[in-house]
Amino acid sequence: MKALAIAASNLHRFARERSNVFFVLILPMLLILVLGSVFGRGFEPRVGLVAPGTGDLTTALVDGLEAHEEFAVHRHTDRDTVVGAVERGELEAGLIVPPDYDDAIRAGDTVEIDFIARAGQDSLSIRRTIDALLAEQMALPRIAAFVAREGEIPYDQALAQAAAVAGETAGVQVESTVAGESFIGRRSWGQFDLGAQQQLMLFMFLTSLAGSAALVQTRRLGIARRMFATPTTVRTILLGEGLGRFGVALVQGVYIMLGTMVIFGVRWGDSLSALLIVAAFGLVGSGAAMLMGALFSNDQQAAPVGVFLGLGTAALGGCMLPLYVMELFAPAVWTAAHVMPHAWALDAFEVLALRDGGVGDVLPFLGILLGYAAGFYVVAIWRLRSVLTR
Amino acid sequence: MRSEGSATDNSQPVLECRDLRKSFGELTAVDGVSFHIAAGETYGLLGPNGAGKTTSISMAVGLMRRDGGQVLLDGEPLDPGTTSLKAKIGLVPQDLAIYPDLTARENLRFFGRLYDMPRTELRSRVDEVLEIIGLSDRADDRADTFSGGMKRRLNIGIGLLHAPRLLVLDEPTVGVDPQSRNAILESIEQLGSEGLAVLYTTHYMEEAERLCDRIGIIDRGQLKAEGTRRELAQIVREHDRVRLSASGSLHTGAEAIEGIAGVQQVDIVDGGIDVLVEQAGNSLMAMLSALDEAGVSITGVEIDEPNLEAVFLHLTGRSLRD
Repeated sequence: MKALAIAASNLHRFARERSNVFFVLILPMLLILVLGSVFGRGFEPRVGLVAPGTGDLTTALVDGLEAHEEFAVHRHTDRDTVVGAVERGELEAGLIVPPDYDDAIRAGDTVEIDFIARAGQDSLSIRRTIDALLAEQMALPRIAAFVAREGEIPYDQALAQAAAVAGETAGVQVESTVAGESFIGRRSWGQFDLGAQQQLMLFMFLTSLAGSAALVQTRRLGIARRMFATPTTVRTILLGEGLGRFGVALVQGVYIMLGTMVIFGVRWGDSLSALLIVAAFGLVGSGAAMLMGALFSNDQQAAPVGVFLGLGTAALGGCMLPLYVMELFAPAVWTAAHVMPHAWALDAFEVLALRDGGVGDVLPFLGILLGYAAGFYVVAIWRLRSVLTR
Repeated sequence: MRSEGSATDNSQPVLECRDLRKSFGELTAVDGVSFHIAAGETYGLLGPNGAGKTTSISMAVGLMRRDGGQVLLDGEPLDPGTTSLKAKIGLVPQDLAIYPDLTARENLRFFGRLYDMPRTELRSRVDEVLEIIGLSDRADDRADTFSGGMKRRLNIGIGLLHAPRLLVLDEPTVGVDPQSRNAILESIEQLGSEGLAVLYTTHYMEEAERLCDRIGIIDRGQLKAEGTRRELAQIVREHDRVRLSASGSLHTGAEAIEGIAGVQQVDIVDGGIDVLVEQAGNSLMAMLSALDEAGVSITGVEIDEPNLEAVFLHLTGRSLRD
C-alpha cells in the first residue's frame, strides 16, 4: 500500500504539470498524424492526363486509367502543362490522348498517344502498365473494326456484338503470391501503423527518461531519505518510485494505442499481446529512468540528458528510420539497432500486425524486453539503496 | 531559557546512543558519541558546521549504517533495517524535504500514509498540524509558493504528524527570518513541555540556551562535554555576572556584598556595581538586601549567565562560528 501511495504521488505530481500533458498525450498524436500523412501512404506515382475527347472510347480509356491502383491520375487540359509538371518532378509521367481518339479508332486508323516521362525506373514501370491497359482496351475495338469491315455492318453494332461475345468467353486470370521476406511483402502496413508503433516506443522511453529528473529531485531535496526515516523499507520506496514511473509509461502507451486505433484506425494486432509488449516496454523505460535517477545528482542535468538519450536511443532503435529499411540497405545498422530495446519491441509489433501473431509468437521478444528491464532495475536498486543508507 | 532541572533524568531514556562511530573513507565523521534523551526532555547537540551533528542524528534515527556503537529506542535496538521502531520518531531534516509541487495538505497526507495512519485519523490530524504550524489558511496552496519560513514550518509539521515519541530536529531554523524563527522556537518549546523527547541540533548558541534542558557540545565528531548549561559552565568555571545599576555610596555597597556566599568578585563601574557570582539566583536577594541596608539605591539589575560560546571556545579552542 505504501508503494502505491508513493506511486500515486508520482502520478499526481506528473499530471499536475501542464507541459507533461502536452508532451505525453498531445504531441505523440500530432506526430503520428503528421508522419502518417506525409510518409504513411508510400510511393504512388502521379500521371498527368490530357484527354479532351468525349466519346465512349475516350471515356472508357480515362475510366480505366483512373481506376488503376498503381498510379494516381491527374487531369489536365493541355500538353504544355503536363510537360512542365513532369520536368519539375510534380508528375512522374504524362499521357496525351488526341481529341479524335474515338473517330480514328472507328475509322481503323492508327492512333498516336503521347507518353511523356523522365528517364528512370518509375517511368518504365508506368509505361508498361499503360501499354497493358491500352492493349486490353484496344482488343474489342480491333475485333469490332474487323467484324464491321468483313460483315459490312455498322461499327457500333459490331462493337456491341464483340462486347457480348467477350463477356461469354472464359479468360485467363493470373493470381500472384509473394513468398518470403520481401520489401514488397511489408507494404501492407496501414497509413499510420508503422508511425504509431515508432512514436509509441519513442515517447514511452523519452517520457520515462525525462521523468527521471523527478526522482533526482526527490533525492536531492532529501525526500527519499525522509521516506526512509518513516517505517518504510528501502525496497518499498524503490518499488513505489518504480511503479510511479511505470504507471506514467503504461498510461501513455495504452493511451497512444487506443487513441491511434480510434482516430487513425491503426492495427495493433492481438490486443493482449500488444498490451503485454507495451507493459514490458514500460518496465524497460521505467527501469532506465530509475537508473538515471540513481546516477544523476542534479535534476537540472538529468532532464535534458534524458531527452537527448530518449531521442538518440529511439533513432538508433528504429523509431525514426524503419527497421526494414535498415535491414534492406544497411544490415550492420539493423544489427546495431537491436542493441536498443525499441527495436525488439518494434519487431514484436510487426509480428502482431503483419503476421497475425499471438502471445506465443511474441514471447521471445517479451523475454528480451524483460531482460532489459531487469538489468536496469537491478543496477538502479543497488545504487539507490547504497545512496539512501550510506 | 527553560527552567533547570526539568529533565526527567531518572526515567527510562526514550533514545540512548552509545559510542556511535562513522567514517567516510579517511574522514572520521563521528567518533564515539554517546548521549541519551528522556521523555519530556529537549537535548541539544551544539556544534559548528561539519562537527558531526547530522551524521550523529542520521545514525540515531536509523537512517545511516553505523561503523560502531548502538542505538536504543525505548530500550529496543534501532538499525536502518528496523522499520517498525521508526514510527516512534519524527524527523525534521535540515533540508526542506517537502514536495514543492504538492500543497501543504498533500505533503502532510503523503507522509501520513507512510506512517500507516488510518485515513480518518490522518484527515483530522492534518488539520490539527496545519493549525499548529500556522498554515491552515494556506493548506491548499503549493509549497513552492510559500516563504522560506512557511516551508520550514511545513517541514516541521511533517515530523509532528504522527505524534511521535521522539522528535528530531536538524537545524530547523537555518535560513529563516527572525520572526519565523521565533515562531518555530516557540512551537518546539511547547512540544517539549507536552512530554515529547526532542533532539535538537544547532550551531546557534542562543537556540540551544533557550530550548535545551541538556546540551552536548560536539566538535570534530567527538562529544566534548554534556550537561545542563550550568553544568557546562562549571566545567570551565564560568560564573554569572550581575550588573547592578545603582546610586549612592557605591563603595559602601560593594563592601557590603563582598562577604555574601557565592560572590567571587565585586567591581565598581561607572553608574553601578559588577558582581561575579557562582549562581546569581542564589545570591541576588541577599545582595539586594545588603545594598539596601548600605543605603544604595538600585535602579536596574542585569544578569549574564554563563555563555555557551565561551564554553565551546574553552573546550575546542575555536568559536562556534568557525
